Order: sequence, then C-alpha cells, then structure tokens
Amino acid sequence: MNTIIEVANKIFAPLINLGAPAMMFIVLTLFAVLMRVKLSKAIQGGLMLAIALTGMGAIIDILTGSFAPALQDFVKSTGIELAITDVGWAPLATITWGSAFTLYFLFIMVVINIVMLMINKTDTLDVDIFNIWHVSIIGLIVMYYSNNLLLATLLVSFLGVLKFINADLMKPTFNDLLETPKSNPTTTTHLNFLLNPVIMVFDKLFDKFLPIIDKYDFDAATLNEKIGFWGSKFAIGIYLGAFIGILGQQAPQAIFTLAFIGGVSLELFSLIGKWFIAAVEPLSQGITNFMSKRLQGRTFNIGIDWPFLASRAEMWAAANVIAPIMLVMALFLPGNGILPLGGIIAIGLTPALLVVTRGKILRMIIIGTLMVPIFLWSGTAIAPFVTNTAKSVGAFPTTLSSDVMITHSTLEGPVEKFLAISVGKMGENFTVQTVLTTVGIFAAYTLLFIWYARQMKKRNKKYEEDEEAAEALENL
Amino acid sequence: MIKILAACGAGINSSFQIKTGIEEEMKNRGLQVEVDAVVIKDITQEMMSKYDIFAPITKPKFSFKIEIPMVEAGPILYRIPAMSAPVFDELEKIIKGLQK
Repeated sequence: MNTIIEVANKIFAPLINLGAPAMMFIVLTLFAVLMRVKLSKAIQGGLMLAIALTGMGAIIDILTGSFAPALQDFVKSTGIELAITDVGWAPLATITWGSAFTLYFLFIMVVINIVMLMINKTDTLDVDIFNIWHVSIIGLIVMYYSNNLLLATLLVSFLGVLKFINADLMKPTFNDLLETPKSNPTTTTHLNFLLNPVIMVFDKLFDKFLPIIDKYDFDAATLNEKIGFWGSKFAIGIYLGAFIGILGQQAPQAIFTLAFIGGVSLELFSLIGKWFIAAVEPLSQGITNFMSKRLQGRTFNIGIDWPFLASRAEMWAAANVIAPIMLVMALFLPGNGILPLGGIIAIGLTPALLVVTRGKILRMIIIGTLMVPIFLWSGTAIAPFVTNTAKSVGAFPTTLSSDVMITHSTLEGPVEKFLAISVGKMGENFTVQTVLTTVGIFAAYTLLFIWYARQMKKRNKKYEEDEEAAEALENL
Repeated sequence: MIKILAACGAGINSSFQIKTGIEEEMKNRGLQVEVDAVVIKDITQEMMSKYDIFAPITKPKFSFKIEIPMVEAGPILYRIPAMSAPVFDELEKIIKGLQK
C-alpha cells in the first residue's frame, strides 16, 4: 500500500504543483473523456471546474477578510467564543471537488451501486453524481487525520451501502408526499437522509406521548409567502453582517460594509455553486450512460438530488422558522464555535424532517430544533479540516492569521462526520482506546439504522395494504 | 422567443439540469427558447406572468392559480433519453401551439 502511494505521489507531484484549479481541470477532463464524453464537452466541464474553484477562492477571501476581524471584535466585546466563519455549502463543495480523491470515491460509489443492483440488494440507480462530494468529504476527513486510504475507502463504502438501502426504504414515502404513482421512478440517495434514524427516534416519542400536537399544524405555503424576500439569501447575509457589526461594536460605516459583504457573498457563493454543477454535468451524463448500458433489462428507481421534494412547502417553512432559533442557540450552546451565516437556512436538515414526519410541520420544527446542536458541534469539529483543506486547494487566503477558520454550520451528515473523525483518529493511532471507541460508535450507529429500517418497512407495508384496500374498493 | 420558467426546491442543481436539458433538446429540434431556473418558494404570480411555460420538477402548490401551460419536467433528471422524451415532446407541442 505504501509503495503504491509513493509511486502515485511521484507521478502526480508535478500535476499537484500546478495548483488545484489546473490539476482538477486536467483530471476532470481526462476522466470525462474516459467515460466517453465528447472532447469539447469534457474540456468545457474541466474549465468550468477550474474557474469555479478560482472564483470561490476569491469570494472566501472577500468574506473572511472582512468578517474574521469583526468576529474577533465580536468575541472580545461579547465574551462569546464564536470565531469560525460559516460559509455555507458551496465553498465546501468546491474544496471537495478540488481534490482528485473525490473522483476516486466517485468511482468506488459507482462500482458499489452497480454491484448492489446486480445482486438485487438495491433497486436504485444513482445518477446524482455532483453530490458524491458529500461522501467524499467524509473520506477526506479520515485522510486528514490518518492518511489511511484503506480506512477512508471502507467508511465511504459502508455509508454508500446504507445510502442505497435508504433510497429504497424511502421510495413509498416519496410517492405519498408527492402524490405520484408507483410507476414514477424518482428517489434519492442524498446523504442528508442518513439523519432519518435519529429523527425517527423523536418522531416515535411524539407518536407515543404527544400525538395531539399535530392538530395545531399550520399552512406552510402561506407562511413562506408572508416571509417573501425577507428570507432570501442576500437579505440573510445583510442581517447577519449587521448583527456581527453591531455586537462587535464596529463603526456605522463598517457595519454597513459587513452587511453588504455578507449579502453579496451569500449570493455569489450560490451563483458559483451553479458553475460547479455545470462543470460536473458532462461527467454525470457520461457515467449515467455507462451505467445504464451495463444494466439493460433491469428495471430500477432513479436517485436524483433531493429538490424534487420542493412541492412540499413545509421544507422551507421549517428552515425559515429554525433559522432564528439556530442563531440564538449558537450564542449559548457550549462547545459551539460557529456564528451561523451561510448555512443558517438549514436545507441540509429539513428534507429529512419532511420524510420522517411526512410533513407534520410542528414536529419538523421541534425535532429540527433538537437536531441543531448536532449540526453546530459537527460543523465546529470539522472546521480545522475544512480550513486546512481550503488552504491546500488555494481557496483560502493565506494572509489571514492561522486561527481564522471556516466551516458550514448545517452540513449534511453531521453524525457521519463524527464517525469519520473517530475512524481517522483510530487510523492515526491504533490504541485499545481508539479502536474500542470506534467499534462502539459503529455498533450504535448500525443498530439505530437497523431499527429505523424495520420501522420504514412497517410503514411501507402499511402503504401496500392501504393501496390494496383502495383497489378492492374500486373493484366493488 | 418562448420563455420557460424551470423550478426546483433549491434553485441550484435540479432546476439547472432542467434548464440545460430543455435548452439543448429544443435547439436540436430547431426551436428557440429561453429558460430561467429558480427556487419554487421564490415564485410569485407576477414572476410567472412573465413566462410562457412553467416547467417545475414536480407539481407545486401555490396560493394563486397557474395561468400558463405547465409541464412537469422531473424525468429530465433521470438522464435516460427514453424517459425524458415524453417531457420534450409535450414541450414541443406546446411551443408550436404558442407560436401559431
């Protein structure tokens, strides 16, 4: 294993020395050509990735350059230790797609998917290539601590298997939530739904002790319309910039600057996020062609990104209500180092709440609030890794002092980040303690998933019975 | 020029794929269209009135009535030509009807 890595390092060193954008331009283009993408399309994708990486670096520079000093003043004047800048999902996706390992983890996931389909362990074909970054970041965390590619691969594979099983388990619920017929193949393998087991524990408690709460559910669509533009990205950036400026006792001019830089950064992060998706687009099509060719005659559901759940307004309503709660919680939660900004609208959390509670809005808000600390702790725990990795791909200003850090406050898969850290620390130093801790965490995690899978199978059986009953009634 | 409003739950990935999918296929079919991609929650009656066709990922619920033709564009995301063809056929039919 070591010699392989050494040889690989020798071959790739000149490539890596070109800097992440140039390296990823070359690597992504070659990989796409390998997947039979037309050369011009492959180059287009590679170049888009390079400019997305470069652009993201520029905005992180602008944002942290003005926010980091203000956050230091904020800490001084309030005594609240929240010095980590929350940049939201897009910069983290960038950093992850700036590593060639992401293509390696993508390859592993494609293999697992095809094998599981062939041996009938899943019915889902995943075509959501872009979101591979969510499992890749978990692998990269393991690598960050231990430099152990084998452990990283094992963890990524394990979570990959669970993701495909979960996509099957959730399929009938999607049909129910979206009122689509059984023949509709839409499902998703998105990592955010691996939080379902934890959410389900609380949902069952509501079933048992407080079912009456559902009577007070309100109409989510109306709430969203009332909130209007006040909940949009630039508006949120402006409030939080002003909030930091005021509590950091900055001069009025500086407060306005912070507010507008907050607003522009959040808008631009999401704009550049779109470049990224455009960059991966040719590759996604190439891989889908590759997989569907090898699976002729097999019928399957298709895993796409989660936003098809958007026809349910509860998802946004819950995110909007949870946002101010999160801000207050962040100020007082022990062990949290993040002041929420880019990730404050928790769309990494609310889709899973929607699926488990099936759109019961009050349960979504209450359980969602209980989940917030997990996200904040997880975001705090990965901040050193995120900052370090951002620096290594050139997406982070090196001029800032070394204790300035960035992270994402509501990154999908918070529990899995702790798994990754635990595995990484074990790989760094195999002792009785690290091994036992990791085994213990895995046992608990797996048991909870098994329990959840049983509950979902019960739910799916009920769906089938209801359907049969409805058919029988029609035939009368 | 026919203007199409694509929409999904986040306004980032899925609606973007719908946008590029429609633009490419309609070009192949010799039709000129312009597609914008947005988040469903940001759509207002006023915004929708500026478009000729609405192409959401799945049928959303609004407090207002959708006055323009709607085509559910989710199947474009499956990336499998046989599955997205019906969506494109329907769009083509509507576009040709509007151009008359």
